[in-house]
Amino acid sequence: MRKSSSSQSFNHPHRRHQGIGTPSPTVHNMKATLLRIWGYMEGEKRLFWFVVAIIAISSILSLLGPYLLGMAVDQVIADPETDTLVTMAVLLMTNYLLHSVSLWLQNYWMIGIAQNTVYHMRNHLFTHLQRLPILFFQERQQGDLMSRLTNDMENVSRTLNTAVVQFTTSILTITGTLGVMLWLSPMLTVLTLTIVPVMYYGMKWITKRTGRFFKQQQSHLGDVNGYVEEMFSGQTIISMFSQEERVKAEFAEKNKALCDAAYWAQTYSGFIPKLMNMLNNISFAIIVGAGGILALNGFISIGVIVTFTTYSRQFTRPLNDLANQYNMILSAVAGAERVFHIIDQTEEQADETKAEPIGRMAGDVTFEEVSFAYKEGETILNNINFHAAPGETIALVGPTGAGKTTIISLLSRFYEANEGVIKIDGKPINSITRESLRSQMGVVLQDATLFNTTIRENIRYGRLDATDEEVMASAKAAYAHGFISNLPEGYETVLDADGQGISHGQRQLLSIARAMLANPSLLILDEATSSIDTVTEMKINDALKTLLQGRTTFVIAHRLNTIRFSDQILVIEGGEIIEKGIHQTLLEADGPYADLVRAQQKEDSVM
Amino acid sequence: MLRMFSYIHTYKRAAIIALLLMLIELAVELVQPLFMARIIDDGIMQEDFSVVAKWGGVLIGLSLLAFAAGITNSFFAAHASQGVGHDVRRDLFANVQSFTRANFHNFSTPTLITRMTNDVIQIQNVLFMGLRIALRAPLFIIGGMVMAFIVHATLALLLLIAVPLLLLFLFWILTQGVKLFRLVQHKLDDVNTVIRENLANVRLIKGFNRGHYEASRFERINTYLKEKNKHALWMMEVAMPVVMLGMNAVIVIILWVGAVELNMGSAQAGEIVAVINYATRIMFTFSVFTFLIMTFSRGKASAHRIEAVLQEEGEKEDAPTAVKPPIAGSIQFEDVSFSHFSHQANGLNHITFQAEQGETIGILGETGSGKSSLLHLVPRLLKPTHGRILIDNTDTAEMSMDHLRKNISLVPQEAHLFSGTIEENIGWGKEDAESADIMAAAKMAQIHTFITTLPDGYQTRLGQKGVTLSGGQKQRLSIARALVREPKILMLDDSTSALDAHTEARLLTELNEQQCTVLIVAQKISSLQAADRIIVLHNGEIIAQGAHSTLLKESAYYQKIYHSQQSGEVM
Repeated sequence: MRKSSSSQSFNHPHRRHQGIGTPSPTVHNMKATLLRIWGYMEGEKRLFWFVVAIIAISSILSLLGPYLLGMAVDQVIADPETDTLVTMAVLLMTNYLLHSVSLWLQNYWMIGIAQNTVYHMRNHLFTHLQRLPILFFQERQQGDLMSRLTNDMENVSRTLNTAVVQFTTSILTITGTLGVMLWLSPMLTVLTLTIVPVMYYGMKWITKRTGRFFKQQQSHLGDVNGYVEEMFSGQTIISMFSQEERVKAEFAEKNKALCDAAYWAQTYSGFIPKLMNMLNNISFAIIVGAGGILALNGFISIGVIVTFTTYSRQFTRPLNDLANQYNMILSAVAGAERVFHIIDQTEEQADETKAEPIGRMAGDVTFEEVSFAYKEGETILNNINFHAAPGETIALVGPTGAGKTTIISLLSRFYEANEGVIKIDGKPINSITRESLRSQMGVVLQDATLFNTTIRENIRYGRLDATDEEVMASAKAAYAHGFISNLPEGYETVLDADGQGISHGQRQLLSIARAMLANPSLLILDEATSSIDTVTEMKINDALKTLLQGRTTFVIAHRLNTIRFSDQILVIEGGEIIEKGIHQTLLEADGPYADLVRAQQKEDSVM
Repeated sequence: MLRMFSYIHTYKRAAIIALLLMLIELAVELVQPLFMARIIDDGIMQEDFSVVAKWGGVLIGLSLLAFAAGITNSFFAAHASQGVGHDVRRDLFANVQSFTRANFHNFSTPTLITRMTNDVIQIQNVLFMGLRIALRAPLFIIGGMVMAFIVHATLALLLLIAVPLLLLFLFWILTQGVKLFRLVQHKLDDVNTVIRENLANVRLIKGFNRGHYEASRFERINTYLKEKNKHALWMMEVAMPVVMLGMNAVIVIILWVGAVELNMGSAQAGEIVAVINYATRIMFTFSVFTFLIMTFSRGKASAHRIEAVLQEEGEKEDAPTAVKPPIAGSIQFEDVSFSHFSHQANGLNHITFQAEQGETIGILGETGSGKSSLLHLVPRLLKPTHGRILIDNTDTAEMSMDHLRKNISLVPQEAHLFSGTIEENIGWGKEDAESADIMAAAKMAQIHTFITTLPDGYQTRLGQKGVTLSGGQKQRLSIARALVREPKILMLDDSTSALDAHTEARLLTELNEQQCTVLIVAQKISSLQAADRIIVLHNGEIIAQGAHSTLLKESAYYQKIYHSQQSGEVM
């Protein structure tokens, strides 16, 4: 991923050979995918054809160069008069100048087109991502998505920059060179071509081996990666248990295996340029030797020999590159397909046409016979009924996987209920636009998620137009101000994406501050305080009490002492509400809730 | 970069052989145009076919020789570069093994992984190239010019002037390009960060309705990326057309001057052809140069990143005076202070307390009060900035690290398990652990019953391809791993937080029966009540200590916590 895009700009045989032998990517529908990429070139299609035309011109000029040079040599030898010399020199220089200019122009324009196209693709992809339902993200591994959004896009970008130009150039150069050589001397052409079959079989022999070893190398590299990641993230345990030597020995084995596989992969891939070099040299010898005989017999001129030596290189080089460029294009197309696969995912359902934005809502929530299943037959929630009056605190209690989070997700309209109706302030939830609904909701999630920016901006995320004072006020209310001020850079401290530098509890305080700033009508606390120590939680509880005033709050709590004062407690198990009521009545009922509470009491009696 | 080169010392034989083989190839390439001139001048011009056949044959023979040299070179170059890669990885890994928490603060795990894999591969590629073509390109240019001089000095003089100028120009453009690409890389990182955040925080972003905001944020950095990328690429694309034009101009001039010389009879046709041929070949070498400069600049960056890790000083080896006294388990903190590298939170101020052998000490305090730091100081995972920590009256700083840690088990807040079987994971702490030991530890940690419900029991595989465990199950396994070593000192860093009340209570009772000294950090007073003493930490200082009943009477702070926790429970 870190591979700099700088590798793309210059085409050189050795660089290009690196990819040879790596397994070919699978492409499902090349034509359709190329057409879709083509679609993103909106507004620049004409320029694209213009670039193709320039490529044709520069290819012709690059063929013309050696021909003119050969001619010039002949003329100079035959008739070293100043007149012809001037004509030839001017002709040559014009050719070279035009060639350089056209080379530059084709790249200049193509880079513009490629970068704009990739820009549009990236934007489209990202905007689409925002519209995808939560379920999409749950079903996929984050690593895989990340790789599609970054590596695959980079691959498309890199290929569009250069491969298109190179591929077209290669094809034009090969056909052109062949044509000119045939025209100059068919016999010498045939002799030059004798190396092609040797090249073909040689390459085939090598790539068969490199392919196998590259695959092995890749798998060993993955092995080393995985091992290193696991060990480094468990470094404390390793030091604590003094297992450094054992771990080093295990690593040595994997390192050796990688080294062995990589040795053969690299050795074989190193054959390719040597084979090409040798074939070029031999074709040189053939041209000079056979050309010499032909020249002796007067079939061709010495200039033709000079021309041919250049042409033979111009011919074999792109021939050799073609395979690689094609591979590059294939892998970019495969990458584009993976990207388009995401774009093809159905978006979150649009708001119903009759949906209207809801103003400031009171927070009256009703679930009427609500059922939900991701897939048919796998019921997650079954016949959920409850009513939350405005300002009430509703606690959801039950084991992991009981369906607590799903209830919240339905309320946020991350999913749609399969059966039943959810009403907010008496209106069915699907008659309210998602945007207006969610703008009234504040969430504090179990895994306190933060962004890679300053603490201030992280809190401000709750309400983007909040002033610095408001940010600080909500930090104080969430008891986060104390630790923030203790940091050397205070509110300007930049947080890592993985939240390094501050503790888990502190991250949660920040995410509570963020929710406070949002000032929502509906508040959702998803085990928000579970990893804050009791002392901190005490403070938070005080703050939450203020925060909960006038808001309907749903609390998914792990520890029962935090929800004792809830207006309603819903005990959920297996997707159903098995008990509901307030703390005291539930205790008296001596049902499942009482069991849970007793479990906590027992812990005291044991000690 | 220097340090990286020193690695090649181990493989110097392979490297020298590779270089010699490369020189053979180079020599062949250099003499070719010379033979070509010979064939044209002595053969074709003199209409002497035997000369053509003879030199043609020599050419083919030399090509085969160069090919053989090239193929053999590949073996030696790969051996040297892969060997160096292997050694660098080995040393990197070994050095990271000596890393303390402070070191990990400087290098996060993801960057260490990148350095160990991508950066090492980059170095390998540079070396492989270096042994195969790096010297060849400059040598070819020099050699080409020398040969051109041998053929015809006046004509070659033109090359001598033009080639260095063009090389300078190429080098300048590329340095600019490399700078620009660094900017591109930053922008690319920004784009990736936003994507990563959006994938990780999707619930939050949807919850706060920030889709549009994120999209516009993305569009902004995406635009930056596009613009920077264009600029960098455009800059680079200037290089080759200009250099080619320059070189072609030189060829035309050579032709011109050659014609004049030819007229004066001071040059032969074959000589002009040969010099032009050298010029053309030198021109092709320029693109190799471009490639080399790019590879080297990337390799240099990688080398820097690797060297930074290698130079990072981890834990020191034990001093020769390190002692290994028998450890019974009493712990003494003498005026211990500790502060973290960058921030004040989690520090400790003048901590003094004593834990007798076999005692259980509870530690209570809010987030950032320094509880974890206190535990980490004992096995020297952290070093005190002031004061001493004694175990059985011996300063831990004077003990052999290995010996010290062998007698201590610390169960960290987040249970980290390794991929492997359950048995391997529990047995991790003690190499010679018997199945019976492992089972006993599992029973004590209240995880045995659960393990037996798994189809493969103790042989169940954990990790990427294995079963996933709940937080509580992981914590209990990690406690079992700590117990199997029969430590003299056991430290639990809030490591029972995910257990349900029943299980936690049973576990604590079991631990109470053990002979070892126990330091236990917990959030719930109920988990600490039975401790012999409880230490209350606040902002890195001990504000109260004593048994539960004493604290309840004497510490207002403790009372407040106790009541807040009690209020949740009935009676």
